[in-house]
Amino acid sequence: MAGVRTPQEKWTNRVAIVAVFVALAIMLTPIYWIAATSFKPRNLATTIPPTVVFQPTVSPFVKLFTKRSQLRDQPTAEEYAAAPWWERMVFDGGEKVVRNGKTGEVRTSGYGDRFTNSLIISIISTILAVSMGTLTAYGFSRFKVAGEDDWLFFILSTRMLPPVVVAIPMFLMYRVVGLNDTHLGLIILYTAFNLSFAVWIMKGFIDEIPREYEEAALVDGYTRMQAFFKVVLPEALTGMAATAVFCFITAWNEYAFALIMTNRNAQTAPPYIPSQVGSGLPDWTVIAAGTLLFLIPVAIFTFLLRNHLLRGMSFGAIRK
Amino acid sequence: MAQIDIQNVQKFFGQHQVLKDLNLTIEDGEFVVMLGQSGGGKTTALRAIAGLETVTSGKILINGEEVQNRKAADRDIAFVFQSFSLYPHMTVRENIAFPLRAVRMNAADRDRAVKAVAETLQIAQHLDRKPSALSGGDMQRVAIGRALVRRPQALLMDEPLGVLDAKLREQMRAEIKRLHIARGSTSVYVTHDQIEAMSLADRIVILHDGVLQQVGAPDQVYLQPTNLFVAKFVGSPVMNVSDVRIDGNNVRLNGAEAGFRFPDETLSTVRHAEAGLTLGVRPEAVLLAHHQGEGYVPVVTTNIEPLGSHDIVDVQLGGTVLRSRTASGFVSGEGQQVWVRLDPAQAHFFDKATGLNMRGAN
Repeated sequence: MAGVRTPQEKWTNRVAIVAVFVALAIMLTPIYWIAATSFKPRNLATTIPPTVVFQPTVSPFVKLFTKRSQLRDQPTAEEYAAAPWWERMVFDGGEKVVRNGKTGEVRTSGYGDRFTNSLIISIISTILAVSMGTLTAYGFSRFKVAGEDDWLFFILSTRMLPPVVVAIPMFLMYRVVGLNDTHLGLIILYTAFNLSFAVWIMKGFIDEIPREYEEAALVDGYTRMQAFFKVVLPEALTGMAATAVFCFITAWNEYAFALIMTNRNAQTAPPYIPSQVGSGLPDWTVIAAGTLLFLIPVAIFTFLLRNHLLRGMSFGAIRK
Repeated sequence: MAQIDIQNVQKFFGQHQVLKDLNLTIEDGEFVVMLGQSGGGKTTALRAIAGLETVTSGKILINGEEVQNRKAADRDIAFVFQSFSLYPHMTVRENIAFPLRAVRMNAADRDRAVKAVAETLQIAQHLDRKPSALSGGDMQRVAIGRALVRRPQALLMDEPLGVLDAKLREQMRAEIKRLHIARGSTSVYVTHDQIEAMSLADRIVILHDGVLQQVGAPDQVYLQPTNLFVAKFVGSPVMNVSDVRIDGNNVRLNGAEAGFRFPDETLSTVRHAEAGLTLGVRPEAVLLAHHQGEGYVPVVTTNIEPLGSHDIVDVQLGGTVLRSRTASGFVSGEGQQVWVRLDPAQAHFFDKATGLNMRGAN
């Protein structure tokens, strides 16, 4: 910000900066906590007061991706020496890695598959919700739709009920049609959740794109469809990116339906991570490691689209 | 190039009728300006020709072919929007080439056509810029270039200079005229600015409330307005209008003691009006003098607008303010005693009930 500032404004500015730091601290502390815990040895994870200085270890991540069982006896010296470095970490924690009895292959935990499920389901449902939402919004924005306002309200009303309310009927229906514990089932569910949101957000963006853009294309010999793809879509990209971020986050973080509708095949990461608290003493470091990895895709996705989230960049070549 | 016929066109938006039985023929190569207030139906008429708006009934013909049910893309017409409507994500070159891509012209021809039109419009140096980096005038040049590049049957322009500042408007006006003379394209131009209309048009079409008021050459519209609306809409400053009463050869303005003597031949056609009369005289027909003379009435000046080349002087006569166009400095200040006369040859009498010019076609 350029321009002359009065002393009072300088003070306001300083206060604002302090406020930003406070807000950042509040928001980043849990993330720091998770990150720190995921690199701690198990015995330091739950100390009071919290341990701040410690020797970081990747053993929580090793444990996260492997299947383990409690050690009854200490491993023999040969066993210990023969084991790779990461397996020794598991031994040190009083557990051993479960291996296939015949081949000796390491049995992996379910985390990798669940993470992949999360990616597949979130990405596909985001693409579907944004593309269908954009087309629907375009229709509402540009054409006379009988009862337009009622339709839009109806679309929005699907968000008015807490989703969990319909969980049981949905579960029963899904069981009948065989969509239980399938990727397709969750994709349909998340697309349906996000569609109403996508329609409303995209309608706002498309309303702001002047009709003259398409009209110019129509007069110049293009069909409505070509005009949409060549003229409207490039202008709507900013809005689509913003909508995609929100849809992706919603689908990625969804817990309740994933818990109810899936158990093995199509289970996503959110219900899996807490299931590891399980019996016995929970290993918080493993849970923290799982959570930390789970945060990364959303962070990357949002970071890649950050420019589009700051809107209003391409509006300018039209005079109003 | 093409002739455009509009026959009995009606257009409703819901209950609201925006075009009422419009009939108009635009000749091949003609520059027609549609003039009127906003909401008068001129933009709707233009959009109907382009195919951006359907018509409720009636026919639109381009070169004798009915097109009212054809899509805009199939009418081979170009449209320039007030907002320019340049695609922000494309460069100037891509913007101009956009209509040529629709007809799948090959790259070499396309490039040649874009260059040629850019040179005509003096925007060749901007071809690789984005539209947002251009000035308003250059944006409009690009918009016109995009319209002209595929040599359409007709060029339609909807207030293309509406958002430019006054100086630039004047310059672009001259450019559009030059371009029209050079290319000879059939052009329809919509504006609410009567100066633009007068300076550009071969013929002016005046629309008001969806009804065609008058069609004619600029001087015809100015000198022989068919009704009060046209008379008041065209010309700046606005024509002086006052209710009048005729006693013998004496024409008395609303509430004034003194009247003006008009010759018999001027009054013969208007004497028997039943609903009363409205007199219209343009400022240049309100003649001022410093001395009492035959037919002059004494008045006092109330306001002076010095405009450099001439002055506009207001004088109070009864309940009416008459605006007169005089030589600069003819009257030195407000409150001066002068004498006024109206030029009967430039006076118009309008029927108070219908608004029609009683002197007909003169």
